[in-house]
Amino acid sequence: MNPIAMSLLLTVALGVFGRTMARKIQLLRALAPADRTNHLKQRLANMFVFAIGQKRLIGRARERSSGIMHALIFWGFCVLLIRSLTLYGQGFYEGFQLPWLGGGHLAGYLYLAVKDVMEGIVLLMVLYAVFRRAVLKPRRLHNTFEAYLVLALIGILMVSDLLLDGARYNLVHLYHNAKTIPFFNHPRYGSEFLWTPVAVGASALISGLGASANAAILATMFWLHICTQLVFLNILPLGKHFHVITALPNVFLKSLGYPHEKAQLLDLEDEAAWEDESLGVNHIHQLNWKQGLDLYTCTECGRCKEVCPTYTTDKPLNLYEFNDKLKHALLANADNIIRRSGLAAARARCGDDEQAAGLAEQMSALNSEKQLIGDIIAADTLWACTTCRACEEVCPVTIEHVPRIIAMRQGQTLMAEAYPKELNPALKGLERNGNPWGIGYDKRADWADGLGVQTMAADADVDYLFWVGCAGSFDDRAKKVSRSLVKILQRAGVRFAILGVEEKCTGDFARRVGNEMLFQMAAQENIATLNRYKVKKIITACPHCLNTLRHEYPQMGGNYEVIHHSEFIAQLVKTGRIELQPSLAGALAYHDPCYLGRYNEIFEQPRSILASVCQDAPRELPRHGRESFCCGAGGGRMWMEETIGKRINLERAEEIAGQNVAHVAVACPFCLTMIEDGMKELEKEELIKTRDIAELVAESMA
Amino acid sequence: MKILTTVKKVVDVELNIHVKDGAIVEDGLQYVINAWDENGVETAVQLKEDSGAETTLVSIGGGDNTDVIRRCYAMGIESGMHIDDPALEKADAFIYARVLQKVFEAGDYDLVITGKQAQDTDNGQTGIILAEYLGLPCVSNVIGIEVLDDKHLKVSRSGDAGTEIVALELPAVVTVDVSINEPRLPQMRGLMMAKKKAIEKMDLTALGTSADEIGCAAPKSEIVAFMATEKRSGGRKFEGDAAEITARVVDLLANEAKVL
Ligand code: SF4
Ligand code: SF4
Repeated sequence: MNPIAMSLLLTVALGVFGRTMARKIQLLRALAPADRTNHLKQRLANMFVFAIGQKRLIGRARERSSGIMHALIFWGFCVLLIRSLTLYGQGFYEGFQLPWLGGGHLAGYLYLAVKDVMEGIVLLMVLYAVFRRAVLKPRRLHNTFEAYLVLALIGILMVSDLLLDGARYNLVHLYHNAKTIPFFNHPRYGSEFLWTPVAVGASALISGLGASANAAILATMFWLHICTQLVFLNILPLGKHFHVITALPNVFLKSLGYPHEKAQLLDLEDEAAWEDESLGVNHIHQLNWKQGLDLYTCTECGRCKEVCPTYTTDKPLNLYEFNDKLKHALLANADNIIRRSGLAAARARCGDDEQAAGLAEQMSALNSEKQLIGDIIAADTLWACTTCRACEEVCPVTIEHVPRIIAMRQGQTLMAEAYPKELNPALKGLERNGNPWGIGYDKRADWADGLGVQTMAADADVDYLFWVGCAGSFDDRAKKVSRSLVKILQRAGVRFAILGVEEKCTGDFARRVGNEMLFQMAAQENIATLNRYKVKKIITACPHCLNTLRHEYPQMGGNYEVIHHSEFIAQLVKTGRIELQPSLAGALAYHDPCYLGRYNEIFEQPRSILASVCQDAPRELPRHGRESFCCGAGGGRMWMEETIGKRINLERAEEIAGQNVAHVAVACPFCLTMIEDGMKELEKEELIKTRDIAELVAESMA
Repeated sequence: MKILTTVKKVVDVELNIHVKDGAIVEDGLQYVINAWDENGVETAVQLKEDSGAETTLVSIGGGDNTDVIRRCYAMGIESGMHIDDPALEKADAFIYARVLQKVFEAGDYDLVITGKQAQDTDNGQTGIILAEYLGLPCVSNVIGIEVLDDKHLKVSRSGDAGTEIVALELPAVVTVDVSINEPRLPQMRGLMMAKKKAIEKMDLTALGTSADEIGCAAPKSEIVAFMATEKRSGGRKFEGDAAEITARVVDLLANEAKVL
């Protein structure tokens, strides 16, 4: 006990820590706004599942051992926190105990037992972690001095506390100092050391050193533990271990209702925004505070890049570096960003035009000299992303990469007019004829010739609108899927119609490439058409249409119940409106489309449908479900050349071909094209047929 | 260098064109910038950006050409005029060229850039006739332009035997091919700016001429009627035994198609 030393230590350590944290928070507050204060209950639930429950660490089969390791260290740490508070108290007052955790309560004993065992486990886990980093060297990990330092500090924390208890044990039971050394001793629960096997084991290591040495060890371990912990606390905010502090709030504040923050509906008519160049993200200060917190929280674990289809096929997008560079840019510009936000607030308050202009000038002088895209993030990196969300789905701390990438693409397209020019034909096609193929809009319903499909214009009194999408309307391969779906709907007696030439591209790809103007134009027109016909329920075979209609049109006043054909067909089968023969021979595997699975959580329905058309149970691909591997077409990549590295669709086709299947089923017209093309490249298109589930169902209808 | 670029509003040829009673059915049609002219505009804008040229655009006929001209503004053209007159309704290439001649003479231009043809008529005459009227050198089917100095260009064109390099003294007329460049796609900022820019609208009198002078009354060529191209119906598919099919096909060719 040394109240003066303890006060001094705490004042200095907490003072420095407080200052660091205040600064970090100030920087976040200077960033753009984001609203994350709703749905408290759901947020708490997320925090329990993802952060405290460590779901993405222990939940992934591929990473189970390291996940369990991390979870045990984390939980051990949480347990130890209570002990630490006790020790701080003991610095002021000998024998201090937290309420209900003292020697008079069973809880005190139970806590000691748990803490003791956890300390032993954490110590083992730290050793395993060092072994893993130094010997096993998983590819995704970056070995840094910081990583080892932190492991060493954790080790010291455990060892010091165990030896502290060990020395107490020796002094009490071996050297008979029971009178002077406080310890729990309860008539019912006995000596506290009956409850702490690991500490007693540790005591054996120092039992032969004599009473005075043990007393010295006791004192040393006490201060070593306290000092290590305070040093640890102050090291955390400086590097990737900041996540120890920020992970919980970051998960608590994650996006709800949609897997990540939706692309912002920009006000393109706002002239001031054009003047301020504030549409999209072209400067580091334009990130919002949650995106800043994401950057603080990245643990540099590399899980994201390991599953990223671009990184795995040797493209320059390496999410670990992406985050790291942004974080460094953010920190390097912290002063300017904070000053800038002060000026912005002053400008918002000031009524005088001239003064406001002066402030605006000062603000732009504070912009980073480095171009966000170009100097910090290479253009090839930004445009490589397929927006597949594989990265987000594995991130243990729920970092959202895609919204940031889309916001940067918006900035590039709208403000800098710097985007891959190879997109022009598709964008122009969208603008003129409402489809990226650029085929005359009047040919949109040609696929349905002779099928007896009615249009809304002819009769809008139907139960469902079949939203065909551009691929289903214009792409020869996907048209067959549209026809199959029509056959199914007709067989089931569903009352449906199409929009025909009145349908336009939903604008999905335009939005993903940052062309908010064309997205909004397309969306506006479509919503006007849909609302004119009072459409309520929409069926579509395209997950991209599904996603846009379901989640993005509400931003612009279009609210519909949007159903994917896999959901609808599964329902038809379940209710007996169509009957399927399990007639398909040969093994079949299912490829989960990103915008169906990860974006819209539709994993089961396609599988259940396939199970009823196949003779044998469908197989799972190595990368499936939540961790399915992208076909390479999303995020507007369908309309760009893929010139760097291996082609993503080829990588996926090889994975499928490696499973010795005769069929691969998809549920997206873009996956259909990409995977079939991949099979052609492998010269396997005859051996492994790529089919949409609708085609398989149409052929299996009894 | 002062550049005059021409732009024609044409029907979007991606659409099916329907013909009824010898006339095109307007219903459902949409109009766009003639693709070759879009390359011409891009060429002019690049010359503005790289060599400080001044760019003016002229569009003739077509009713409301506002969208077309604004698009060119959004691409970077500085000023534009639209010449329309009821007398121009039946204009052919010669009449267009006469009008352009008047525009040229009123403006002291160094270079005229036109698309090598228009998507709707595929005539490919106007630019060349204009050069003839003006007595200026003309290079057609141009695929590259390099500015040597104020008065000289090095122009490459796609000829029969390959690329030809032509030295050209200004003033002159060039007609460009689509392979000369990739026209930029106008973006929001440009389109917003374009909305605020004025378009100079003129009839023939305002241009300082008259229907008579242009020769509107007697066009050298006239479209008498349109005819729809015949639709090819899908082929017939035969399946089964090879020998049987062969026999059947031979029989059909001989007796039904009567080509054997
Ligand atoms: S973003 Fe997430 S998955 Fe990627 S390195 Fe950071 S913490 Fe790991
Ligand atoms: S969304 Fe997909 S392609 Fe984009 S960074 Fe994440 S994993 Fe890579």
